[in-house]
Amino acid sequence: MKKHLGYLSLPVAVAIGATLAASSAFAQTVDTARIEAAGQNDWLTYHGSYKSHHYSPLAQINTSNVGNLGVAWMHIPGRSTRGVQSMPLVADGVLYYTGSYSRTFALNGATGELIWHYFPELDEALIKRQTHSPYNRGVALGEGKVYVGTVDGRLIALDAKTGRVAWDTKLIDSQKLTVGFTGAPLYAKGLVIIGAQGGEWPGRGPIFAVEAATGKKKWEFLTVAPTEEAMKTWGGDSWRTGGGGGWMPGTYDSETNTILWGTANPAPLYDWSGADYKTQGARPGDNLYTSSVIGLDIDTGKLKFYHQELPHDAWDFDSSVGEFVMLERDGQKLVVHPNKGGFIFVYDRNLAVKNVWRLVQNINFVKDIDPKTGALIGRRDFTAGKVTDPPLCPFIGGGISWNAGSYSPKTGLYYKIGQEWCMTLDVQKTTPVTTPQAQLNIGADFKMAPPPGGEIYGHLDARDPVTGAKKWEVRYPEPPLGSVLSTAGNLVFVPDSRGTIHAYDAETGTELWNHNNGTGHQGGIVSYSVGGKQYIAVTAGFGGMLADEYGPNFGGIYKSMPRDDGMLVVFSLK
Amino acid sequence: MKLHLKNIALLSAVLGASLACAGSVRAQPASPAPDNGTFDVEQLFAGTCGFCHSNGGRAAGKGPQLMNSPRDDDFLRDRIKNGKEGAMPGFDGAFTDAQIEQMIKYIRALKPREG
Repeated sequence: MKKHLGYLSLPVAVAIGATLAASSAFAQTVDTARIEAAGQNDWLTYHGSYKSHHYSPLAQINTSNVGNLGVAWMHIPGRSTRGVQSMPLVADGVLYYTGSYSRTFALNGATGELIWHYFPELDEALIKRQTHSPYNRGVALGEGKVYVGTVDGRLIALDAKTGRVAWDTKLIDSQKLTVGFTGAPLYAKGLVIIGAQGGEWPGRGPIFAVEAATGKKKWEFLTVAPTEEAMKTWGGDSWRTGGGGGWMPGTYDSETNTILWGTANPAPLYDWSGADYKTQGARPGDNLYTSSVIGLDIDTGKLKFYHQELPHDAWDFDSSVGEFVMLERDGQKLVVHPNKGGFIFVYDRNLAVKNVWRLVQNINFVKDIDPKTGALIGRRDFTAGKVTDPPLCPFIGGGISWNAGSYSPKTGLYYKIGQEWCMTLDVQKTTPVTTPQAQLNIGADFKMAPPPGGEIYGHLDARDPVTGAKKWEVRYPEPPLGSVLSTAGNLVFVPDSRGTIHAYDAETGTELWNHNNGTGHQGGIVSYSVGGKQYIAVTAGFGGMLADEYGPNFGGIYKSMPRDDGMLVVFSLK
Repeated sequence: MKLHLKNIALLSAVLGASLACAGSVRAQPASPAPDNGTFDVEQLFAGTCGFCHSNGGRAAGKGPQLMNSPRDDDFLRDRIKNGKEGAMPGFDGAFTDAQIEQMIKYIRALKPREG
């Protein structure tokens, strides 16, 4: 058995006391109640709080003074293969973030001074064989620890004060499947939840819960055919290699004691079944629980309820992407969840469909989705051969990508990036793969294409999150790939693909400020406060599964944009 | 134009062998059965390589265009086997030398699609 050397890779702790403007650092532990309360100075979990608003109640930086925003400090994580994609977290004045290879840093949030770092020793030979690697999308905080997943299948807990390894648990046989963890974990109720990569890999896409105190695995939920009933939705032995997974963090609903998680697509991505997908093709049936939103009992990992957003997803428009925005409307408690296909689903807290609306204009994989039931109307199921007229819309990158939008309780608007692009396909009648293998299972050749009669572009929309009514829109020549932040200062921040971070008036969409970070964005953005001063922190650095398409398809600055570089940039008022 | 190499059947050994690094597992027939129980390099390309090399290798995507590649066979062989950090995974151990040679032949035979 391979011995993990991570324990030998001790971090360097540096003069903690001297560096902390936040003298109260570590004064409180981060726990479920604190994340639920979402104190305004912090950013304690990937989606900001369990409500997943990606919103900061800080208003020191606002529409009247944002013009004075400037760089406060920067940090270079190094070895940024495929850019920097993580969402920084902040607790008690200390900022935690990761770079590629799960390099983890704790920095003084006011000055950027290093408190500790941790570079796990990874299985480099395995990484060399991986496609979706070695980027990392962030950490979780809880019980005095920092939790980070690795692309070689481990979940590691670090002491939040020192960066020393508290435990290191191997969860996936990454040698067998070549998948691991790139998404951030979620801390809730004494557990650390993390979902595996999956989708186009022929596995069964597990989601794990690990005890925060000990590192012991508590439960595992297979997103592909975990039950007899679900197995019936996979023809033949296709369930053995169905893909799935849950590679982005979901959230926790304390009122129902439920973990809400989005699952990835089935494998192969593209199927040759034609309209008889229930009985024909590479994976006949609905393929539960792929491309679904699921509710798991946090204590047991048992499935409580679900909605399969795309039964028999034949387009790679999965449900892993996106936040679970919790809000109330007319006395109803709702959850808003975007799907990669470009639709926004509105659910009650038990994931019963309440509405479905379109964020994206160019959608033709279905004619529509029934807003009352969520049923797909006019599916476009392919047989083997070319798909060119019209091309499939959206492109494999999705009408919505994996980074998060933002909901402002102050304006009542949901700010979300939409992507307008399509693709031509040549679907292959593949021989079924029935045992897990070490590489991808795509099932088609494809190429990016413009929408019929139009151009590729991206847009930031300000919408009513429940009805989809649009208040304003800002367009970009290429789809932005980073997350969005809104604040109580009536601002919306969008870090774009060309490298500019924009600040807009949250009510009107008027651009009030921008700054060129010098390289594209495809990661997180947060706001926090230290010593009474508000900061905006954004990761910059391009490259990866979607960003790598920009150079050959858009040219221009993307041709020379590094795909192995990046940084964290933090802004404050001058 | 349909690829002339469509019939370069790599048999089930292609994906079966790709499992070598996964242990002793191998591909097994399943329902519905494939037409002829074989894999071909075109199908293999669409299963794995086409994720990055667009339009079956005819256009740049995440990875470069392979059709009319100016690179020599040694370069292609080395890149398929060993990959490039942060850009392409290495397939040494996933594919046999013979299968990699078939991939190079596939790349060399690439022509624009009709229509």
